[in-house]
Amino acid sequence: MRGRVGWRLWALVPVLLLALTVGVVVTSGSSLVDLVGTNPPPVDEFDIRRVEFEPGEIRITVRNPQPDELTIANVNVDDAIVPFTVDGPTTLGRLRSSTIVVPFDWVEDDPITVGVTSSTGIETVKEILAAVETPSASAKGFLGYALIGTLVGILPIALGLLWLPALRQASAAWLSAFMAFTAGLLAFLGVEALSESFELQSLLPLGLGGSGLVLLGVALSFLGMTALAGRLSGGGTATGLALALLVAIGIGVHNFGEGLAIGASFAVGELQLGTFLIMGFMIHNVTEGLGIATPVAKTRVTLLVLAGLALVAGAPTILGAWIGGYTSNDVLGALFFAIAAGAAFQVVVEVGRYVARRAPGGLTSGYAIGGFLAGIAAMYVTGILAA
Amino acid sequence: MPKTRLTRRKLLAAAAPLAAAPLVGKLALDGQAAAGGHDHSAHSHTREPASHLQGTMGHAAMVGDEAPAVGGPNDLDALLYPPPALPYKPGRVREYTLTALDTELEVAPGVFFPAWTYNGTAPGPVVRATEGDVLRVRFRNEGSHPHTIHFHGIHPSKMDGVFEVVPSGGEFTYEFEAQPAGLHLYHCHATPLKKHIQKGLYGAFIIDPKEQRPPAQELVMVMNGFDTDGDGENNFYTVNGRSFYYARYPIRVRRSQLVRIYLANLTEFDLVNSLHLHADFFRYQPTGTGDHWEYTDTVMQCQGQRGVIEIEFGGTGLHMFHAHQSEFAELGWMGFFEVVD
Repeated sequence: MRGRVGWRLWALVPVLLLALTVGVVVTSGSSLVDLVGTNPPPVDEFDIRRVEFEPGEIRITVRNPQPDELTIANVNVDDAIVPFTVDGPTTLGRLRSSTIVVPFDWVEDDPITVGVTSSTGIETVKEILAAVETPSASAKGFLGYALIGTLVGILPIALGLLWLPALRQASAAWLSAFMAFTAGLLAFLGVEALSESFELQSLLPLGLGGSGLVLLGVALSFLGMTALAGRLSGGGTATGLALALLVAIGIGVHNFGEGLAIGASFAVGELQLGTFLIMGFMIHNVTEGLGIATPVAKTRVTLLVLAGLALVAGAPTILGAWIGGYTSNDVLGALFFAIAAGAAFQVVVEVGRYVARRAPGGLTSGYAIGGFLAGIAAMYVTGILAA
Repeated sequence: MPKTRLTRRKLLAAAAPLAAAPLVGKLALDGQAAAGGHDHSAHSHTREPASHLQGTMGHAAMVGDEAPAVGGPNDLDALLYPPPALPYKPGRVREYTLTALDTELEVAPGVFFPAWTYNGTAPGPVVRATEGDVLRVRFRNEGSHPHTIHFHGIHPSKMDGVFEVVPSGGEFTYEFEAQPAGLHLYHCHATPLKKHIQKGLYGAFIIDPKEQRPPAQELVMVMNGFDTDGDGENNFYTVNGRSFYYARYPIRVRRSQLVRIYLANLTEFDLVNSLHLHADFFRYQPTGTGDHWEYTDTVMQCQGQRGVIEIEFGGTGLHMFHAHQSEFAELGWMGFFEVVD
């Protein structure tokens, strides 16, 4: 038993060393280049993190992504020089941010371009698809995000849990198919989260991004979930409620990222929170409830416990929507999807071990293979509804 | 615009900041401090910032202190007010010294452009002669690249500034008879031509007719642009080298008194530039030659075109002028005449 955990820890050493090496290379800067020649001049581009629209005003939050200092000298809106003030320092040190405030009578729903020019004359341009007023933090907004989070997160999972009575009647073979279905579902979420994470880190400034960030997130959560699984199952294979909880956590971490995405996209006017989208998310997430219910099909659980599982898996959507809606958190976004991927993959492993041990015919039975593929297919098909 | 619906997979990716349009290609030329040259400013006009006008025009009007322009009220006087016209005198020699320099220019507040200049400014100094004068221009190249001076006008081909490329540290004297009368130009003709012009090597060249033009308050306006990020498009447009300068410091002129403007276009990259005057009309003589005068409030010039504007303002107050390409106007090519009694 100890040997098995030790092996997993050792397997992580290369991953940690990789993250360490990436860190060293990133911080060493240009000293290596100086040995072989002259460095080109700094790119002097800003990282335009957030553009907010308020009545008669545009607020542009910029960050200096490069080692050299960067000075805000000129601001354009739609290719016209505009007066502006800077909330924060005008000359930005490495990875420092400031907010540029531009009095501007912008036109609702029109595309708009903002440009920030450095003292060396380099202009960084960001195009906004449609100018819409940025919602400010309010009790009403908080409640709104909570309701949307409940609708797309908690409610469908709770509905999915209502498959439990049906599952209780299922044969062992069919149950193993549903368990494999859960694994397929989680594998789908894991791959999706990993892809999101890589995409997000590639948009980060070099000092904050890098594949190391993704690896770190994946490793961190995989390790954490492994430890948790060990504790919940007393060191053995997680079954019953313990496995259901693990599945719920894996889904919950993913749903946090989903909430983050909904909040952030809506806040910057890049997402229409229409009824169709909300409905799509609901249908998509119902299957997650099925995934949580299957491990407890042969275990006695109270309604309160079931409600708790639904909250663990669904409530993070609300938290994510709040954070995404009211803050700009590009690093958090990349890291969180990496964490979600790691957690999902760990639970796939956990469920796989369960199926291998308990299912008639093990992992290679038609039920297991068919269930796994069905899980992936179900997520893919219902995912189209949320697109 | 069409509403885009984002897929579940693209959701967060879209929310994250889009990669900014990469605009690289900045030339790392350490600018040298601007060196002297002749001071041709004849007028000692004092112009004040139009701060007393503030609040009368709304926030976005870009006038007075609202206008983001570099420097103090009289910084560009040497470029705006040409040296006086001299009466015709056969055989007279007019001497100028032009020095090519690498100069870091502040073209808009806090925005520095690694320019190449004649005598430290872009446009360079106004060169002026009377028809029949012998013009002797001593050219010294203290810049880091080979340069020339190519004058528009009639002169021997070996004085054309095309074949005798002056290397860095070199020197050449151009000497020819000034003709014909009109408004002309000079600019560097070393290759790559686009680069040498875009970097700032140009200026106005006035040849006064033997029979003098009527006395007037004379102004020189050279329209240009600066591509500060090297993407082949101008980021700032100006007259005489600083964006919004005459919006911050309006040019004061007298009502009913003849004002003569020597207007030239040396904007690189864009096909044309233009001048539009508000609230009045002027007479325009293309190239400053011939008898044809157009009566208008808007003139258009391609690169290298130029002409002479004459006007007696009929009313007092602020008269806006700007390129009638709105984009150029909002990127710095806008100013005011303040007409006073």
